[in-house]
Amino acid sequence: MDRNSTGLVFVLPALIVLAMLVAYPVAYTGLLSVTDRQGAFVGLDNFSAVLGARATPQAFWNTLWFVGGSIVFQVVFGTAAAILLNQNFIGRGIVRSITLLPWVVPGIVAATTWAWMFHTEFGIINYMMTGAGVIPEPIGWLTNGSTVMPVLIAINVWKLFPFVAIMVLAGLQSIPNDLYEAARVDGANFWQEVFHIMLPQVRSVIVAVTLLLVIWGLNSITIIYAITRGGPANRTLITPIQIFRLAFESTNFNQAAALSVMFFAVALVIVIIYIKALASTPGEVK
Amino acid sequence: MGSVNIAQARKSYGALEVLHGVSVNIANGEFVVLVGPSGCGKSTLLRMIAGLEAISGGEIAIDGKVVNTLAPKERDIAMVFQSYALYPHMTVEANMGFSLRLGGAPKDAIKARVAEAAKMLGLEDYLKRYPRHLSGGQRQRVAMGRAMVRKPKVFLFDEPLSNLDAKLRVQMRSEIKRNHQRLKTTTVYVTHDQIEAMTMADRIVVMNGGVVEQVGSPLELYDRPANLFVAGFIGSPSMNILSGRLENGTFMTADGTAFAVPGMASFGNRDVRLGIRPEHLCLDPNGLRAEIVTVEPTGSETQVMMRLGGHDVVGVFRERVVNAPGEMLPVSIDAERAHIFDPQTGKRLEA
Ligand SMILES: Nc1ncnc2c1ncn2[C@@H]1O[C@H](COP(=O)(O)OP(=O)(O)OP(=O)(O)O)[C@@H](O)[C@H]1O
Ligand SMILES: [Mg+2]
Repeated sequence: MDRNSTGLVFVLPALIVLAMLVAYPVAYTGLLSVTDRQGAFVGLDNFSAVLGARATPQAFWNTLWFVGGSIVFQVVFGTAAAILLNQNFIGRGIVRSITLLPWVVPGIVAATTWAWMFHTEFGIINYMMTGAGVIPEPIGWLTNGSTVMPVLIAINVWKLFPFVAIMVLAGLQSIPNDLYEAARVDGANFWQEVFHIMLPQVRSVIVAVTLLLVIWGLNSITIIYAITRGGPANRTLITPIQIFRLAFESTNFNQAAALSVMFFAVALVIVIIYIKALASTPGEVK
Repeated sequence: MGSVNIAQARKSYGALEVLHGVSVNIANGEFVVLVGPSGCGKSTLLRMIAGLEAISGGEIAIDGKVVNTLAPKERDIAMVFQSYALYPHMTVEANMGFSLRLGGAPKDAIKARVAEAAKMLGLEDYLKRYPRHLSGGQRQRVAMGRAMVRKPKVFLFDEPLSNLDAKLRVQMRSEIKRNHQRLKTTTVYVTHDQIEAMTMADRIVVMNGGVVEQVGSPLELYDRPANLFVAGFIGSPSMNILSGRLENGTFMTADGTAFAVPGMASFGNRDVRLGIRPEHLCLDPNGLRAEIVTVEPTGSETQVMMRLGGHDVVGVFRERVVNAPGEMLPVSIDAERAHIFDPQTGKRLEA
């Protein structure tokens, strides 16, 4: 055996495991999507059936709403929190740790807790808001079609903005102090420091974090499934949940696989567009 | 343009006082260099003038106005940092125009001012570049340009040349000096390099351990150092300091080496430190006998380290010295140019 094939023998076990763990499920999903329950080849039937379902376009738009809405607020709040936590004030260490909490709490625990807090009759949120006279009568936050999505977005933002905050904070801390001092001598006030020094300097961090948030957002099931299961009336049905329900509630694995394949393709396109768009901005990453 | 008046300025970090009452008056248009060993408080003083460091005591006034509580931007100063502190995400042009932009100046006015400064510094070809695409010397120039564009009352420099190689340092030194002669803006320049201080300054402020040791023009400091610290700090190689006793106009070291010091009879008989610059030793067949330790020819002159009267003494001679270490070299001391200091206080004694 020459050098190359000896090497191959050594990496083979790892490659086989990797293939079984990654390639097999992907390939099998592909296979499932073009066969029926008996395993007979049916061409694109599963795809047309899924696309014909009324829930599919709705889930698609819901997903865009949920992911887009979450990311905007996660990035805005996360960055704002990071800037705040980067200032000098008494008790900063404690506040920093507390900010981290939502990120540490397991998703399912957070979801259940929030579900109770938003409960129409027993939830603390309705209790406090009616008590304070902000709203005249209890609102069915999770049962009302117009409030349920914003509430879920809010919970998702609460859960993930600390992640953005930590990453951006790390970026802010690597900015040399000289730059702030130079800006102050140049006449910058606090907001001008934020917009001319801090944000440009953490731009690359925000770009990377946003990409992660897109990927996680497109995969997020826990919070929504634990709180509403996609209801009421499919108002919070996002595509990952639709796939999950097709597979495990309707036990239609073939259609679920077809939907997965399409979802994967769309997600891939979004991610590629995002990376391309940011890679082509005039190079000013440090 | 403006004057800078520092009166009894103090700085403490908690219980630790690092500046113990510094007073310096800088006239309008003057180029003043703060020089001193590392950690003596030069940067701290400069940053107090800039408003980047709070003033713990005393007063600093710029152009006659006390600025103790004013923010940096209200002091009308510009600063060049050791690290340059250029904004990495802005082009050279944007870096230089940043302060004007913050001040709300119209676009074409900014452009004109930046172009003017760029022309003066030879940066016209680099205006569209980012700082990371510039060499150290070019960055240094951009940092100066950023300060010049402001047309401030006072320029503050904190060791602006210490990141450059020796040759570039010499070149930038004269460039800074030339720009000062053109603009005539009051300048406070921090360095720990006494050559930079000597060559650039109108006046030098020598600091040590948070106090001012002496203020004066470069040649004043060189010719009449006020104390042993300044004597040793200014000049390269440093002044030789010999301990001994002055008796009836003759200086004698502990081992009996003696030579006459004219004009010093008025001191009477007492212990002193005698300072003599290396260039004021000369080869003299009838001189004192010194044992050579090392010989360092630089081409134009020769530096010889030797033992004389129980001290290590450096001499700089225009002649070439061919003797080997261990041999005896006859030297004489140009005693008229010797400096006499009090051994206890370190202060200069005047005849
Ligand atoms: N934030 C701080 N807290 C406590 N001590 C400080 C602080 N900043 C500076 N010092 C001390 O103040 C003294 C003066 O520091 P400074 O930076 O002014 O020195 P310097 O003369 O500029 O020295 P160098 O030539 O090395 O730059 C030093 O002893 C330093 O340890
Ligand atoms: Mg310093």
